[in-house]
Amino acid sequence: MLVPLAGGWNPLLGRLALDQIPYNNPILAPLFVVVALGALALIALITYYHKWGYLWKEWLTTVDHKKLGVMYIIIGLVMLFRGFVDGLMIRTQQVWANGPDSSGVFGAVHGYLTPFHFGQVYSAHGLIMILLAATPLLVGFMNIIVPIQVGARDMAYPYLNALGLWITAAGAALIMASLFIGDFSHNGWFGYAPLFEIQYSPGVGVDYWIWTLELLALGTSLGGINIIATIVKMRAPGMSWFKLPIFTWASLSANIIALTSFPALQLALALVASDRYLGSHFFTAGLGGNLMLYTNLFWIWGHPEVYFVILPAFGMMSEIFPVFSEKPLFGYITMVAASFAIAGVSWLVWLHHFFTMGAGPEVNSFFSIATMLVGIPTGVKVFNWAFTMYRGRLTFSAAMLWAIGALFLLLVGGLTGMMLAIPAINYMVHNSVFVVAHFHSMLLVIVYAVFGSVIFWFPKVFGFKLDEYWAKVMFWLFSAGTVGVFVPMYMLGFMGETRRLDYVFNTAWHPYLVAEEIGIFLYCLSVVAFFVLLYVSIRDRVKNQVGQDAWGTSRSLEWLTHSPVPFYNFAVIPHINERDEVAWRRQHGLVQKQPEKYLDIHMPNNTGMALYIGALTFVLAFALTWRIWWLCLGSLVAIIALMIVRSFQGDAGYIIPAAEVERMEKEALAREARIQTGAHPLPAGGRPVPGEAIAYERQDKL
Amino acid sequence: MMRQRKTMALWGITLLTSLWAVAANANIFWIFDPKGVMAETNLHYLIIDVLIMGGIVGITTLLTIWFMWKYHKGKNRGAYDPHWSHSNVLEVVVWGIPIIAVGFLSYFAYKGTFEVNPYNPTVITKHMDPKGDPVEVDVIATDWQWLFVYPQYHMAVANELVLPVNTPAFFRLTSSDVTTTFFVPQLVGMIDVMPGMRTKNALLSHNIGTYQGYASDYCGAGTSWMRFETRIVSKEDFKNWVARVKSSPNTMTYASFDRFAKPYINVHQRVVYYSHVQDGLFDHLMMEVMNGKTWPVPPAMTENMVAYLQKQAAEHRD
Repeated sequence: MLVPLAGGWNPLLGRLALDQIPYNNPILAPLFVVVALGALALIALITYYHKWGYLWKEWLTTVDHKKLGVMYIIIGLVMLFRGFVDGLMIRTQQVWANGPDSSGVFGAVHGYLTPFHFGQVYSAHGLIMILLAATPLLVGFMNIIVPIQVGARDMAYPYLNALGLWITAAGAALIMASLFIGDFSHNGWFGYAPLFEIQYSPGVGVDYWIWTLELLALGTSLGGINIIATIVKMRAPGMSWFKLPIFTWASLSANIIALTSFPALQLALALVASDRYLGSHFFTAGLGGNLMLYTNLFWIWGHPEVYFVILPAFGMMSEIFPVFSEKPLFGYITMVAASFAIAGVSWLVWLHHFFTMGAGPEVNSFFSIATMLVGIPTGVKVFNWAFTMYRGRLTFSAAMLWAIGALFLLLVGGLTGMMLAIPAINYMVHNSVFVVAHFHSMLLVIVYAVFGSVIFWFPKVFGFKLDEYWAKVMFWLFSAGTVGVFVPMYMLGFMGETRRLDYVFNTAWHPYLVAEEIGIFLYCLSVVAFFVLLYVSIRDRVKNQVGQDAWGTSRSLEWLTHSPVPFYNFAVIPHINERDEVAWRRQHGLVQKQPEKYLDIHMPNNTGMALYIGALTFVLAFALTWRIWWLCLGSLVAIIALMIVRSFQGDAGYIIPAAEVERMEKEALAREARIQTGAHPLPAGGRPVPGEAIAYERQDKL
Repeated sequence: MMRQRKTMALWGITLLTSLWAVAANANIFWIFDPKGVMAETNLHYLIIDVLIMGGIVGITTLLTIWFMWKYHKGKNRGAYDPHWSHSNVLEVVVWGIPIIAVGFLSYFAYKGTFEVNPYNPTVITKHMDPKGDPVEVDVIATDWQWLFVYPQYHMAVANELVLPVNTPAFFRLTSSDVTTTFFVPQLVGMIDVMPGMRTKNALLSHNIGTYQGYASDYCGAGTSWMRFETRIVSKEDFKNWVARVKSSPNTMTYASFDRFAKPYINVHQRVVYYSHVQDGLFDHLMMEVMNGKTWPVPPAMTENMVAYLQKQAAEHRD
């Protein structure tokens, strides 16, 4: 029943053999040494400072949504860096391997990467950037911000939240393992049928790709359930739907997409695995298989996924613009409607990823027009951000700069997106680097929004601001890099350069490839600036301490609690009176109003179970990749056993006594009082409160 | 800092403009320099789209920059209104402009899709000279070469496409093993070439010249070298060329195609003429693939292809 394999196989190690370790590869072997030394140094440091207990208790077993969110963001940033290095390798290969006279090293005819290796680099770049950088970064922010914005103590399912994180981490670990054990897939992040079939990709690369994607899809789906449940069921008293902060709305629309689309991906990949492992013919060219079925199934997930990552980014921009314009978001209702319009249309456009497959003109026209419809709500969003600035009082802080950068990139991406939406234009640029430049413009909207949000919400989570000067230096370097890489790339697209070439035949393109290389060098500098930013900010953390309202002009509910946010979020859940609750309270002098008395708080217990199951999913995926059947069975049984054990354990949680809450609150307030004498003294007094407004629910009711 | 930034921006703009200028002289913007009817039509729609969308995007950009300038805190250029967040008039405008633009573009998208429909491009078929004989070409993509079969002449050419000027050419396309895309930027847009399936495309050029064609979708290790020159020649030259192919000693049968389709990276751009081709090769291949025939790629051409590349480079050194 199992398909015969080209290489060796043995019952103990499956396909794993010594020659699968690239110890003689001139790029990977030194890299492995560096990574191993780094890991050893980290372990030594943790041991030296006796931090293992802290790490275990406070991070590895935590179910606190903020800590899980921070770990999501750390995974996202680390993988963003890995993906960036892949991008650097791609650019360097193309500028080097240009023209028949270009030299070649390390066994390549041109450049320094053989075609198969180059294929792995860009495939890993794509997969990592979308599913291991953009997705965890956004999920991380949703994790941290959404529960605070809706006034909840934690997610609806804290344990499930931890499980989602550790499964995502397992996916990240698996793709990193493919660097040093075996190969990664060469057939693009989305997979080409039937190139991924075992006849054309005999190695383990495609298997790594399948199981990485499966793990990430599972992790993200679990997160999606959690965020939807949290928003629907755990809103603070008084928070009706149209008082929901805009980022929460964006998260809701995004996660509805995620939850409904990820199963399509999981199914499609399961069928690919069936083809490769069991010899079925779902997506083969012959024997009844249909390769275009795969392409359809993949993009039925793939396009909604694009909006799953862009909608939270839009939400972030919608939070940043009002704060630094010092006025409410223009057209809140329209913004919400636009988010859901984008989410809805996202289901009807997948075919535009393969207009060139030769569908009839009626089909292509339908998907073309459906695609252009997305431009309407997106256009509305852009106008609304512009009108948020109109009649405002704009501060061009670093966070605002990133948001404005995102807005301009969105205009570029929108213009080129409308070009690609028309089949008559699409035929000329479909597989060209023009498309690559287009979707990088769009995905960079996310990166810009994420860096803006890192700066914007960092003080909320850690209690001190990031350094403005270095944040701006990083912004300008990053933006220069964006222009340097993607303007020439758009030009190359009009010259006809197609994507994924590991050898570029046309020497007339050389100046543009060089310009792209300069651009990526500027990106390198911005990475350095980011590290300097972190160093300087942590060094000056006492000086840059902030109180609850870090920016002085904040608007939504997360700014009502302390910075850093206490693990119980709010000592007493506030009553919501207005859409921009904090702005409203500031206006009425209620920001500093404290509850009359504190009550016991019920919190979930920490558990190591999520970490164990996450680790076991990694083992399972690794064993599947290498076809080590005994290990597959063992890890699967262990996962099921742990799930059963956990289901009998239950978690009654624990109680923080009211007195303890009061003590912690007093401490936090005292700390804030010390800081508040500085930059943004909170206003007292203000306009009188309208009659029935309530700051906190009446205590006897609770 | 501000001054430095301005200098840097100036340098950047100068560099990018000079890149553009270099390009304009060398005429290397193939998409803007179409030499075939299909590519010209594509460019036509590109211009319409960019004019409509560019107008909107341009105005929005200027508007945003103006707001940024005018409402800069502390400069006191514009009046601050801390509560203004809604306007029915503006709502109508912000929804209206994109709706109208998309309405216009939808009309052009619909029209254009029929004009360059690869199966029946009305820009070619509507204006076809009833007496002009179209050339038929069966395009077969293998791992990683192109085979162009001319069924009217019972001949084939590997990795070179030659067509007479002012004559419509109609393609049937399929692949022996994996999916890729057929693309000649200056003549005709992309069409997927899929194993066990048949797609179509068409081309008409009024310009004699040599244009680059290539596989524009990744299909394995040999993708980057999977190119073919497309020569549009005078009708006289085409006759001579056919005669030259016909004098080649090579022929292509079902059996020799089986050997031809084995994975091969065309690093040295070899072109081969086949004076005779067994009839029905295209349909025969389609049937074979549908019945499960594959040409597997060995691990030596995937994971460990260093040795393969070196061997191949040595074999072809003149």
